[in-house]
Amino acid sequence: MRPYFEKMKEFGRELKETQKKRTEENAKQIKEEEEKIAKEAEKIKEFGIPTEKINQRGQLTVFQRIEYLVDPGTFRPLHTFYNPADNKDCFTNVVDGLAKISGKWVVLIGFDNKYMAGAWVPGQPENIFRATDLAKRLNIPLVWLVNCSGVLLTEQEKFYAGRRGSGTTFFRHAELEQMGIPIIAGIFGTNPAGGGYQAISPTILIAHKDANMAVGGAGIVSGMSPKGKFDLETAEELIEIAKKYKEKPPGRVEIHYNETGFFRHVFDDEKEVLDCIKEYVKKLPAYDLDFFRVAKPKPPKFSSEDLYYLLPINQKRTYNFDEIIARLVDGSEHMEFRPDYGPEVYTGLAKVNGLLVGIIGNRQGLMPKNYPEYANYPGIGGKLYRQGLIKMNEFVTLCGRDRIPIIWFQDTTGIDVGDLAEKAELLGLGQSLIYSIQQTDIPMMLVVLRKGTAAAHYIMGGPTANRHNAFTLGTVCTEIYVMHGETAAVATYTRRLIKAKESGQPLEPIIEKMNELVKKYYDTSRPLFCAKLGLVDEIVSLKDIRTYMETFAEAVYQNPRSICPHHQMMLPRIIKG
Amino acid sequence: MAEEIRAPMAGKILQVNISAGDKVQEDDELFVIEAMKMENPIYAPISGTVKEVKVKEGDKVEEDDLLAIIE
Repeated sequence: MRPYFEKMKEFGRELKETQKKRTEENAKQIKEEEEKIAKEAEKIKEFGIPTEKINQRGQLTVFQRIEYLVDPGTFRPLHTFYNPADNKDCFTNVVDGLAKISGKWVVLIGFDNKYMAGAWVPGQPENIFRATDLAKRLNIPLVWLVNCSGVLLTEQEKFYAGRRGSGTTFFRHAELEQMGIPIIAGIFGTNPAGGGYQAISPTILIAHKDANMAVGGAGIVSGMSPKGKFDLETAEELIEIAKKYKEKPPGRVEIHYNETGFFRHVFDDEKEVLDCIKEYVKKLPAYDLDFFRVAKPKPPKFSSEDLYYLLPINQKRTYNFDEIIARLVDGSEHMEFRPDYGPEVYTGLAKVNGLLVGIIGNRQGLMPKNYPEYANYPGIGGKLYRQGLIKMNEFVTLCGRDRIPIIWFQDTTGIDVGDLAEKAELLGLGQSLIYSIQQTDIPMMLVVLRKGTAAAHYIMGGPTANRHNAFTLGTVCTEIYVMHGETAAVATYTRRLIKAKESGQPLEPIIEKMNELVKKYYDTSRPLFCAKLGLVDEIVSLKDIRTYMETFAEAVYQNPRSICPHHQMMLPRIIKG
Repeated sequence: MAEEIRAPMAGKILQVNISAGDKVQEDDELFVIEAMKMENPIYAPISGTVKEVKVKEGDKVEEDDLLAIIE
């Protein structure tokens, strides 16, 4: 199949100086916003105890552990700003992402031992499940840096129990292991109770000499009968008992290395623990990617710096989506699927580091005359119409057949609406795309370049595709909402305006409410807000989009659960004709 | 050879980036038209000299209205 893949059709054009000059201000604005996000990201390193104090205790912080452990420059953070429970002193108290260790991609996650010795906190289970789901979707190993003091006792009701509480992690670990996905854990510090299960549920346990893990901790002072409340007398009694209470935490190395053997290895130095993790990852199976490559890797022909000039931060401004993709795929080459059909959507095959991927995205700008064919109004990019929906259904289904992972790009204002759209079956076609995605069982990733709106955000490989979407990236231009705030204000308040007008009441109070709603939609659709709620898994700079695409493609092909030989693929032949 | 630049759809002229006598390159942005709630740039289909500009900012245009002529 070399004739199909080695050299595909080139697309895209060099950015002219006049174009660059015209969009210089846009580039500057985007970079300023990216700098703000980067500064915010640094703040997570300041939660809890200062790094120096942790180091003085002979420990490394989770950030230092990650830096030592991963192959240089390969950590792809995810969930940096994720804080669904709106914690004030921390976010989710775990740090995670994709990383290469000993040349292999893994999902890496660790407790932040700077805050409450790596305690369980509200919102954390959801972060952990995203990591375990990622390992499951990509079929790659999970590496844990366990340093978990257990439940943050003052807030246990928010996360200890329930279907998606902290204990669910252990079932997720068992599920991964049932699927043949190993979990390699470095164990540091004190890990009682919940921390004990965090430590025992992985596959291989590599411990630091001062680590311990146990069913229960040493912090529970026994010998006091419950009295229903505390008072001064009880407090004085507690002080006396606790002063004398000198028990060492249970489950130390003497027990779990010497006696039970749960700890496979023990080391004096934290770096030795991390080195041992690297050795274990070396033992894990992984394809040499050349097995799956369709061509030699090559960078895009055009610089990713161009993206700053091509993607308008002004949401109303249209742009050429094909030029964006030409900056993100090998050689700026592609095989476009059905270019003469469904012009509002791009679908095509491309290579990322020599590996075949499907690309789907919203085109922007005015559509050709008499499109959509079923309506008497013009078509605009960002919207989805009948042909585009049919085309995406076809492309997704064929990618599924050919086992080609899909990278989605969204900048959408939604699916076309109205009776003409309904007659054109758009409601059914939208759900059909959901069905098409669901029946593929191939990994997907999404970049919300700018807008993710309404049902289009769901159906175009959105995070709602839980079983397929591995992760979702946002940019500083990302906005996600069910509809634009002004549309929502019109929908919510027009009737009240009419009633007020008819009854001679002042309109101003209603107008004020409308503007408040518009502001609320604006505030709750900003990139950082989306990242905080997990509507996207990470905000990345435009120049890092390609980096994450490379990671995704390589991770997908490292341990695929199914293979379609290149010479048995149908999509390239259907495109060529 | 004169090339007529026409409005691809009805809308409002948001920006006029050229004047008569200007030299333009292919793909230079000549106008921005607001239509369907979006700001749509109109690019030069050829390189040449602007012979005439028929619209100004704020003008409402219909589909196919003549916007400019390039020679």
